[in-house]
Parts: sequence; structure tokens; C-alpha cells
Amino acid sequence: MNSTALSFDALERAVAALPDNGLSALRRAALEQLRRDGLPGAREEDWKYTELSSLIEIANNWLDQGAALPAPSMRAAPDAIDATWIRIANGQIDDDSITGLPDGISVKRLSDTVPELAPAGRLGDFNIALLHDGLHISIGQDVTLQRPLGIHVCDEAGDDSVSQVRINIDVAPGSVASFVEYQVSEGEADLYSNSVINLAVADGARADYVRIQNRHKRHNQTSHLTVGLGKDARLRHTSFDLGGRLVRNDLVVDIAQPGAEADFGGLYLVGDGQHIDNHTRVDHRVGPAVSNQEYRGILDGKARGVWNGKAIVHEGADGTDAQQSNHNLLLSRNAEIDAKPELEIYADDVKCSHGTTVGQLDEAALFYLRTRGLSRRDARRMLTRAFAQATIGRTPVEQLHDFLAGAVDSRLRELMHEGDQ
Amino acid sequence: MLQIKDLDASIGGTEILRGLSLDVSAGEVHAIMGPNGSGKSTLAQVIAGHSDYEVTSGTVTFKGEDLLELEPEERAREGIFLGFQYPVEIPGVNNAILLREAVNAKRRHQGLDDVDAFEFLKLAREKMAVLGMDPQFLNRGVNEGFSGGEKKRNEILQMAMLEPSLAILDETDSGLDIDALRAVAEGINALRSPDRAIILVTHYQRVLDYVEPDHVHVLSDGRIARSGDKTLALELEDKGYDWVREAASA
Amino acid sequence: MPTEQENLEHLVNRRYEHGFVTDIATESLPPGLDEDVVRAISARKNEPEFMLDWRLRAFRMWREMDEPTWAHVHYPPIDFQAISYFAAPKSDEDRPKSLDEVDPKLLETYDKLGIPLHERARLAGVAVDAVFDSVSVATTFKEKLSEAGVIFCSFSEAVQEHPELVRKYLGSVVPQRDNFYAALNSAVFSDGSFVYVPKGVRCPMELSTYFRINAANTGQFERTLIVADEGSYVSYLEGCTAPMRDENQLHAAVVELVALGDAEIKYSTVQNWYPGDEQGKGGIYNFVTKRGDCRGANSKISWTQVETGSAITWKYPSCILRGDNSVGEFYSVAVTNNYQQADTGTKMIHIGKNTSSTIVSKGISAGRAQQAYRGLVRVMPQADGARNHTQCDSLLIGKECGAHTFPYMEIRNPGAKVEHEATTSKISANQLFYCRQRGISEEDAVNLIVNGFCKEVFKELPMEFAVEAQALLSVSLEGAVG
Repeated sequence: MNSTALSFDALERAVAALPDNGLSALRRAALEQLRRDGLPGAREEDWKYTELSSLIEIANNWLDQGAALPAPSMRAAPDAIDATWIRIANGQIDDDSITGLPDGISVKRLSDTVPELAPAGRLGDFNIALLHDGLHISIGQDVTLQRPLGIHVCDEAGDDSVSQVRINIDVAPGSVASFVEYQVSEGEADLYSNSVINLAVADGARADYVRIQNRHKRHNQTSHLTVGLGKDARLRHTSFDLGGRLVRNDLVVDIAQPGAEADFGGLYLVGDGQHIDNHTRVDHRVGPAVSNQEYRGILDGKARGVWNGKAIVHEGADGTDAQQSNHNLLLSRNAEIDAKPELEIYADDVKCSHGTTVGQLDEAALFYLRTRGLSRRDARRMLTRAFAQATIGRTPVEQLHDFLAGAVDSRLRELMHEGDQ
Repeated sequence: MLQIKDLDASIGGTEILRGLSLDVSAGEVHAIMGPNGSGKSTLAQVIAGHSDYEVTSGTVTFKGEDLLELEPEERAREGIFLGFQYPVEIPGVNNAILLREAVNAKRRHQGLDDVDAFEFLKLAREKMAVLGMDPQFLNRGVNEGFSGGEKKRNEILQMAMLEPSLAILDETDSGLDIDALRAVAEGINALRSPDRAIILVTHYQRVLDYVEPDHVHVLSDGRIARSGDKTLALELEDKGYDWVREAASA
Repeated sequence: MPTEQENLEHLVNRRYEHGFVTDIATESLPPGLDEDVVRAISARKNEPEFMLDWRLRAFRMWREMDEPTWAHVHYPPIDFQAISYFAAPKSDEDRPKSLDEVDPKLLETYDKLGIPLHERARLAGVAVDAVFDSVSVATTFKEKLSEAGVIFCSFSEAVQEHPELVRKYLGSVVPQRDNFYAALNSAVFSDGSFVYVPKGVRCPMELSTYFRINAANTGQFERTLIVADEGSYVSYLEGCTAPMRDENQLHAAVVELVALGDAEIKYSTVQNWYPGDEQGKGGIYNFVTKRGDCRGANSKISWTQVETGSAITWKYPSCILRGDNSVGEFYSVAVTNNYQQADTGTKMIHIGKNTSSTIVSKGISAGRAQQAYRGLVRVMPQADGARNHTQCDSLLIGKECGAHTFPYMEIRNPGAKVEHEATTSKISANQLFYCRQRGISEEDAVNLIVNGFCKEVFKELPMEFAVEAQALLSVSLEGAVG
């Protein structure tokens, strides 16, 4: 259990005060479930390195003060990303942004449907209990989206606040779609944002998914992305964690049909006072199928990074090829990385491997660059940037590369400047 | 330009150079030959300032300055270029970016403005054409996935762009087929000028057919056992390194 | 011609060869555990006050602790009150003074085990301390060792003869409250081995202990303590067997190693406790805490283990790299078959500067067995220049077994270089066909491939153990390919 417990009385009041819509019954059920299970605590294996009590404190404060969600002030999504943007601010959906969408995309509010919300752990129950409303996005059959569909999650913390985002996305058979999830926040108060997104990629469909998190340095995020892959379906995913204080991202990939391919990974840049945790789990329930993940981290200052990758090959999933890798650059004495690559294998015709490294920049490369006239500092920056480039380079939505390069550069400059102090 | 006096250097406590002395003046091409393990590469690394090598005694001055006091990048900006025997692969660092950074680092050191990006690319492409390099190389990671010959050409390209006053080419000729060797030699010859010196570190006489040296030195056991003109290289080819070793110990 | 599958089953199903019961009178305490039992054990062993206090403190801690549940193993709850915490061959009242006085039946037992204490020990130049159920039976080569100043005796004897050393080092590596089973062991341990190698002494021979559980319903809780004083060296071998019994028996040992400055300890284990039958009935629960402390600068501790036995193994021989430039090594081969479960691995804790560790773990899983590697590499902020390389490979034989890898890396120093690699694969039909085309039988081919897979570990074993280990492996896995 957590040293800090969620205040259920206040939570119950907040749940009761939410607008009565198609979600009410689900909210009450989630609340009851949560009352039984509680939120994850540090004694649990999956939460060994990430302590949620500071988030629970924020939630309790916010609940005690009436659990108000300030009216959203809708901010424009970044121009530099050419996408069709759906906007969610302070957990509330911008109606304008979900009308007049291109052909092939249909969007409904979850409260207008009879939603089926897949379980997403106890934070998923917390999400449902406090959910204003969510979205169901469908990409029609055999549609190829020309522009990525952007999901702009923006929070503004005038006062301490907690917001929930919930989206179900279906990509119908034979379609090709790309998505950009862009999470940012502003404001000097404390904030905890909790998002749950389910992406179902049907037979023969392909989804490209890029998650960019660049929150304010005092704001917190937990995110949960579940991807289900149909027969011969394909996922290509990368994530970028640049900002935030305490950030925990879970990515769950479920391969229940043969021929699926999942390629995922991410980059985390962690500086002073940040704690960034990426947990992944891929379930190979049948074979043949391929999963390949690569995460990279750069840590400087008093930074803490966590990476936990789990590949489970279930009984009978013959022909599975599951690869994991994780590479970390530790640039400061105060930084810590906790890495845990796990394989659980219950089938024998498999090819599985993982590799993890923690280290520094290659001394031979540093020397080489210095013999070409670069200062040690510039050489370090260049090599650090190159380390990060590997993730940018494998990002599926190519028109994002320039934007990502710029965002990574500017965060790296800050990071290494903090480190130089 | 470069004066080395009684240089002793070691790596990991093992002494490699033992009292090596060498004078190189502007306009000259020196070939340094010698069997494996004689200290040729160590000499190149010491001049470039690799921190694994410890200079235990002796002096190295470059254009009148104490070279051993300088950081590797300071040496580079002063005009020393090392063409590596085994150029390191740096995935993710774009060749063009490295080249531009290197050129600009030197220009800033000389009090000049950064090079114009367009001019720079144009110049790089010209030089690459001379070396027979595909312009696509500029967009690839430094030496990433390059063949042996491509790596060596890339070293010569960097040298051509950086226009050093002293170029040390460590076995730049090794592992090259005849076409690559010609291209590399042309690149070296193009750089020859009265205000520039070149040190060719090599195991074989072959490259000297294309780049004619003014002086040839034979290294043995960490010091120069014999010096002469280009005929020494031919003699070596004929008689082998044992001849020098025997002569030195006699 | 039998199919590969049949061959495999034939090999996998070879019977346990060491499963006999020695028919000699034993004297046991009745089942159950309370303070009186702890006092009774201490009293029977004539222990000084400090030992009793130490045991009682451990017992009180144990009562407050919970059984660990994090390991990737499953078993019905253990009733700790149904276990007898002490069993000694009757002859204990009158301890043998030499091998001649040892109960001939015991010696016969060791013969059956393939370790003729008397003959082979001498031939092999190995000094053997044999622990039968809970009491140390005989130690050979005592005189030769004492000439060198090496103390090698049963733990009980050490408590009587060298209380100052026991007092100084006991619990200094594995404290009583370290974990549930270590606390239990600290309270009730009955005997074990004690080694002290004085300053600058290179122990003139390999030291060896053979453990055997014989009595029914008995837990075995031995305790081993090895201290290598400055500049000394010792190589220690440990072998384990147990008879076939339908019920599960508990073995919860603690091994503590202390290496002072410039000292080196090499600890090798061949563990072949009874693994249970083909249906998973019976077998030893092997819940063991083994830890070495590289306490001084330039010290080295090396663990090598070949684990083929036990129904359930829970074991992580670890190194605390406290001294600057100290070195920790872990080489492991673990074979699980039928319904065996193993959760094993190591911990390398880097504290001193320029410490380095190497982990090579080879897991082979067959039948319906489940095997997990669990390892921790922790680099503390002050451990500048720490290095670790981990290689962790699993080989799967059959469709119903599992192989799992749970490595933890906790790195807090920017100068650390930590590399972890893991692979999982099966013996491929191509490899087998290739060998057979060259005229090698399928069984031999499997052995060849498995031995190749384990080679890096076997080369770390002392010669005579390496031979035994390879034989053990081929017995466990003959024909095992699906």
C-alpha cells in the first residue's frame, strides 16, 4: 500500500458531481473497484521504482477543494506539426475540433455510445471514475489517411488539478493511419494528468503512433496506451519524453493474431528533478509474429530514469521473434537509471533476446572529433545528439522528424547546460 | 615546423617510443616506415594528443609552440590533422555536419566567420568528386557502414576540407585496392604545397610510388634506426625490415 | 528407430540415481518450532551463551517476517511446524575421532553417491567434510591442513574451538534478518562447514563438503562460513544429494564468504538434490542464501554452480564488492526438467572503486519445468569505474517448459559501464541434423550442443567437478529434443 492513501470520501463526492451521462454507471463501478484494489504501491513489482504518493497527494488536495476542472482555454496545436488536430484541454473535449474531420475519420463522444472500456489497471479505474467524457475515433475500412490525426492534450494548471483523458481508436481492416499524441501543460500549480488510450488495429491495417510529452517541469503524467493487433496488422511507434516531473508511461501491445508486427520504442531525456518511467509489455499469444523495441535514455543532473520492458511469449506462440533493447547514457553523478528487461517464455520455437547498456560516450569517437578541432564539450554534444538521433530516425511519421529534431535539440541544450553547472 | 626531441612514450606502462627525434619542415613529405610494433602508430597518436599515451620524457614543438601542452582539438585547430588507421564509426553523426563543425571550429580559432552553408556544400562536393566519392556520403553517419576504402577516402576528404599545415596519415594506404590507392594518393598530392608538411606512416613502399617522399625514416624499437631519401624505401622493400634491425643492433 | 520425441522422453525420464535411504538410527527432535526447540538445538551442541543469544534473536526476527512471494515459483504453503529441525545419526553422542570410527553404513552411503570419502578423497587430494542430515560427520586431511594453518572443520567444532572467529564473522555477510529463510536458518542451523585461511596462505588443496538429507520430514539448515584472510586463496567445492521421498523436504542453508584484502575465494557447487518424480511429487525445496563479501581491496570471489536437482530452487549467490578493485564472478548452469522450478541468479553490488563483475548464466529447461534467471546489478554513486558484463542464455527443450529472465540494473554512477545480453533459443533441428549427418547419434548431438552451450561455465569448475557436472547434465538431458 502507499504511504499516502487516496481519499475515497472526497473521490466519491467528485464522482457524484460529474455530469450524469452515459458514463455514470461505469464511473460508479470503477470507483467500487478502486475502493477494493487501491492505487498501485511501491511494494508491487511493477511500481518498485516509481512512487505515486506525490500524485495521490495532488489528487487528494484537488478532491478536497471540490475537484473543479477549470474551463478549458483552447490553445492552438503546434504549427510545425502538420496534422488534423483533436484537442482536449483540462480533460475536456474541444467540440470544434471533432467536427468537420476529413473523410474516413469518425469521432463520437464516449458518453453518446455504449462504451466498452478495456481494463487498464487501477489507474485505468481511477481514470474512468473521474472521466468527464472521452472519445471514440474510428478510421474506416481501407482508408489511407493523408495527414496524421493529432491528439493534442493540453492542461493549464491555474490551481492544483487532476485531469483524465480517455480515447478508443479503431483502425478498420486494410487502413493506414498515423497518429500524433502531443501532451503539454502550463501553469505554476501542481498538476496530475492521467490518460488511457486504446488502439485497435484490425486485420491487415497499419497504425503509426508517435507520442510526444513535453510538459511543464512541475507537472506529472501517467499514461497508458494499449494496442491490440489483428492478423497481419502492423504497429510502428515511438515516444519522446522531454518534460514533466514524475512521468510514468505504460505501453501494452497485445498480439493475438498471427502475422502481426510491432515496432516500438522511445527516447527519454531526463534532467534535474525529473523522474521518467517507461514500462512496456508485449504479449505474444500466437505466432508467427514479430516485436521489436528499442528505448534510449539520456540522464543528466539529479535525474531518475526507469525502463522496464517485458515480453511474454505464451504457450503455443511458436514462431515468435521478440527483441528488446535499451541503451542509457548517464551524464551526471546524481543521475540514476533502473533498467529491467524481462522475458517470460512458455513456448520453445522462439527467437528472443534483449540487450541493455548503461554507459558513457565512446572515448574513441570523442577523440576522433577532437582531432577534427571540436571542443570536448561540442564533441560530447554531437555524440549525445547522435545517440538521440537513433530514435528520431526510426520514428514512423517522417514529416515529424524536423519537429522532433528541434524539440530534442532544445531539450538537450537545457539538459547539458544544467549538467555543466 | 615539427621538432621532436628524445621522445619517450608509453601506453599502460609499456614503453613504446624510446628517444625518438624527428625534424619536419614546411614543404616536406616524410615517410615513416617500420615493422609492426615499431611505434609508428604510437607516434601518430602522440602527436595528435591521445590521452592513453603518456609522454614520459622529451619534447615536441609545433610552429615553435610546445605541442604537448595542447588539447587534441587545439592541436587540430593549429593545423595538425591525423588520418586514422582505423577511423571510428560514429552512427548518428552526419558526415556533413561533422565536416562543417570542424571547418568552423578552425575558422573561429583563426578569427574568421563561419563558412557559408551553400559554399561549404559546393566545396565539399567538388572535393568528393576529385576523390571519386558519392555525394550521398555527406548524409550518412560518420564512417557508418563504410568499407575500408571508403573510410580512408573519407579521411582524405576531411583533410582536404580542413587544409592542415601538418598532415599525419597513419597507414592510409593499407587495405586499399589500386583505384582507391590512386585516388587517395591524388588527394594527398593535391595538398602538397610549400607551406605544408605531410608525414606518411606506412608499412609498404607501394604508396610511395604515387606520393614521392623527400625523406624516409625507418622506425625500430621506438626510435628512428635509419633515415634517407626515397631510395631507402626501395632498399627496404628489397632487403626487408630485418636488415634495418640487424644494422641497428650491430 | 525411435523418434526424436521418444528419445528425448527416454532421456528426460531417467531415474534419479541417488535416491536411496540409508537405514541407520537417527535421533530427531519432534516436529515444530518455538524458542524451546532453538534452545534444545543450542544445548545439544553445547554452545556458548553468545550463540544461543544469536539464535534466539534470529528466531524472534523470523517470527515477525513474511515468506517471500516474489519469486517465479509456485508451491503449496509450507507448514513450518510440521518440520523437524534437528536430525542426527545416533552415533552423534560419540562423535567419530577419525574416519575409522565413522559408521560404516555412512561410508557406504558416500560410496553409493560416488564419493568414496576415504579413498577418493585421498586420490583426488580433496579434503571432505560430509554433512549427513544435520550433523557434520567427518573431515579428512585435517592434519595436512593444520600444518598450513588452515582451519577446516564442522561448524559445531568451530563454535567450540574458535569462538572468537565465529563471533567476529558469523552473520557479518548475511545478517539474521536478511530474509525469511536466512532468519530461520540462523535460529535453527544444526551444522555446516567452517573454513579459515590465514594471511598469505594458499590453501594446499581443494576443500570439499558433501551434503545429504536422509531422514524423513527433516529440514536441513546448514551454515557455511569461509573467511579468507589477507592475501590468501581457497577453492571450495560443495556437492548435494538427497534420497527419493514422496513428500517435499526443506533445505534452507546459508553460506557466508569473507574475502579480505588481496584474498580470493572460489566456491563451486554441484547441486543434485532429489528433484521429485515425473509427476512432480516429492523433491527438495532448496531455499538458500549465499553471499560473499569482497571486504578488502583487490579481493575476488567467484561462484560457480551446476544445479540439476531440487523440486524448487530459490538461490542467488551474490557478491558485495566493497573493496576497491574487487572482482565478483558468477557462473551458473541450471537444468530443470519435469515439474522442477528454479528462480536463480545473482546480485552484484558495486561499492568500491574500479570494481568489476561478470555474470554468465546458462539455463536449460525441459519437460514442464519453469526456470527463471533473476539478477541484480547495482552500482552505487561512489563506485567510480565499475564494470559489469552479464550474459544470460536460455535453452528450451520441449513445448511445455518455460524460461524467464528478470534482470535488474540499478546504476547510479556516470562512470559505470554495464552491459546485459540475453538470448533464448531451442536446439534447432538444423543443428541436430548437421551432427547426425556427420554420424553422431542424436543423444550425443544433444549432449554436444548442451555442453557447448554450457562450456563457458564448465571451464570454471575444478577438473574433477567438471567431469561430474557433465555426466550429471547428460543424465538429466539424455535424448531431450522435441
